[in-house]
Amino acid sequence: MSLLLMILLSVTAPSASDVVTPVPEQGSVAAGRYRNAYFNLSYPIPAGWTQQPAGPPPSEAGAYTLAQFALIDPEQRLRAHVLVTAQDFFFSLIEMDEAKDLVAAIRRGLEPVYQLEGEPDQVTIAGRTFHRLSYRAPRSGLRWRILSTDVRCHALTFTLTGGDSAALDAAEQAMRGLSLSGKAPLCRSDYNDVVEKTDPRFPNRYNTIPVRVIIDTSGRVKHAHLLSAYPEQSEAILSALRTWRFKPYRAGGKAVEVETGMVFGMPLRAAR
Amino acid sequence: MKLRSVPIVALSTFLVVVQAFSQVDPGPRGGPANAGGPLSSVAGNNDPPTILDFFTAGQDAFTEVSSVKGNFPGAPDDGLGPRFNGLSCVECHAQPTVGGSSPAVNPQIAAASAAGATNVIPSFITINGPVREARFRYIPDAAGNPQLNNPDGSVHPLYTIAGRVDQEGCTAAVISQPNFTAAQANNNIIFRIPTPVFGAGLIENIDEETLLAYRASLTGNTLGITPNFNRNGNDGTISRFGWKAQNKSLELFAGEAYNVEMGVSNELSPQERPAGLEAKTNGLPAPCKINKTPEDHTNFNEPPVDTISDVAKFAMFMRLLKPPVQQVSGPNTVGIVAGEGIFVEIGCAKCHKVAFTTGPSNITTSLSNAEVKLFSDLAVHFMGSGLADNIQQGTAQGTQFRTAPLWGLGQRLFFLHDGRATNLMDAITAHSSPGSEANAVIANYTALTLANKQNLIYYLRSL
Repeated sequence: MSLLLMILLSVTAPSASDVVTPVPEQGSVAAGRYRNAYFNLSYPIPAGWTQQPAGPPPSEAGAYTLAQFALIDPEQRLRAHVLVTAQDFFFSLIEMDEAKDLVAAIRRGLEPVYQLEGEPDQVTIAGRTFHRLSYRAPRSGLRWRILSTDVRCHALTFTLTGGDSAALDAAEQAMRGLSLSGKAPLCRSDYNDVVEKTDPRFPNRYNTIPVRVIIDTSGRVKHAHLLSAYPEQSEAILSALRTWRFKPYRAGGKAVEVETGMVFGMPLRAAR
Repeated sequence: MKLRSVPIVALSTFLVVVQAFSQVDPGPRGGPANAGGPLSSVAGNNDPPTILDFFTAGQDAFTEVSSVKGNFPGAPDDGLGPRFNGLSCVECHAQPTVGGSSPAVNPQIAAASAAGATNVIPSFITINGPVREARFRYIPDAAGNPQLNNPDGSVHPLYTIAGRVDQEGCTAAVISQPNFTAAQANNNIIFRIPTPVFGAGLIENIDEETLLAYRASLTGNTLGITPNFNRNGNDGTISRFGWKAQNKSLELFAGEAYNVEMGVSNELSPQERPAGLEAKTNGLPAPCKINKTPEDHTNFNEPPVDTISDVAKFAMFMRLLKPPVQQVSGPNTVGIVAGEGIFVEIGCAKCHKVAFTTGPSNITTSLSNAEVKLFSDLAVHFMGSGLADNIQQGTAQGTQFRTAPLWGLGQRLFFLHDGRATNLMDAITAHSSPGSEANAVIANYTALTLANKQNLIYYLRSL
């Protein structure tokens, strides 16, 4: 959405302090792969599968719908699809710290109409640990395979669904070709060692404004990403964050970049 | 041309073949209305005493026709206009009975010329189409062109009282209908149809904590569903009535509708309502401000049940109106039972949450700690560019809509916020478009066999 239209309609939208630093919602498809620079993800789209309509914008609760692909037969029946999502742990409505927690929550929340095909377990894909859950729905004949891994304090999740087991097998096999490698800042929940700040002033519109920030080795805010905010809120918060100074985060005896989250506006849940 | 008989066997074979390739919406369920009437604890008029009298008085007010001064034959309520969409509550909330949604014959056709009114019927209002209110995306200038730096979103009532025998000085020389032709030509118009109000008191009495806990339980869902709530701008609490959940309570819902849809000022909306450019400049022309305001008000000299205003009566009627009852019977029973499982399995029930439980009620037993099978989470969701109306109401944005409660769906004629769909297959697939939270669920629907799709339709028509 253009900034002009956003201002005219005064709607919430994601925004960032700069256009160079990658943000999670900016993936793209090219040459048969879905690429997402924020997650350092390159996902090979299974052969014959096509990109489906994009999902909603990032949510106030840190949920991203990144991409969806499907295998559709000549009779226009959908054989299988994969939904790529991410849940930011800093802004989750329920307490979770790793992908394993998310898969466990899905397992706990399964309604009786579903039949488990196995308890959650771990698999290794492209050298990374994925937490896997599979279940089926006998009446509709649909099957689900959920594969979730930890990236930058997010659960990055691939949900494969369909009635065609062979297509699901092929899609799961194709995941062996994904890569998730590259440099990223450390992520730390609630790193709030602020030594200097100016609080932003903006109109209360009863919305939650989740903000991810990257703090550089000198303690300045190098980058800020607002998942959801009204334009005037975004402007006020970004302006204020430029004045903030943190105590530099140290790891291994030296100052390092760190990524953390903060919430402005309406809280998401009671404090831990 | 001479008609030839077709052998029944051949015809039934043809139907089987057709059904093998596509599912069919059997259409609105026939028979008696499975909704309407008072809640069970209200019917005895003793929980508490006289409560049924309030329900009945509310229903009477809901069905009464309005005229400008209340002295037109058959239209004893005063306050109509000067701008309006309809002459009574019930003419829009009619299907399948009092309190429902848009009826088969659109009453807005007759309303255009009632009592001698000289309104032009806009092209989007048709005799067998849905009852509609119109909203403009941008305030148009005098020539009808949208001013792109001036977002609107408000209702522009279809008609004026000009030409009516009771219009007094509010003639076509001083007031005119909005320029709907230009609005359509400029893609500056969207529509809304009436929401059914059955079981509304149960919806009103669901605690915020219940809604918030359900929302939190959807964290990490594998469907891309990201619910949020529309919140009252004054106190930040969750609002829940209307297509975008923009109204906090039934009384606000009634007061706003009385003013916006019928032009009746009341204790919640005390002034007569100008529209569009009129509202931003000089307001209504003086000759069109005919009655003292508020036209609807507390009646101090009436017996108790009639002391309260029409708006309070409407709200109490809706509050005490019993919910629709599902009907699992007939030749499609097996399909209905199967469809119920499909509804949950493919993820419809994540947003169309089957049931909540109300909190304790201080009004009547039936509203207290009661199961509410409304099929909605009462949250607003991003529904994509295909359904977007680009109207912002409260914190609900242009592509966000409240999950429409599905109870009573079996006897409805028109679907989605603007009534664009007249069969359930179209209504379901319209949930998918770029930016929609429902895309993965609709992908699951698309993956179903035809038989399972058909069972899902049977189930929905049982509600």
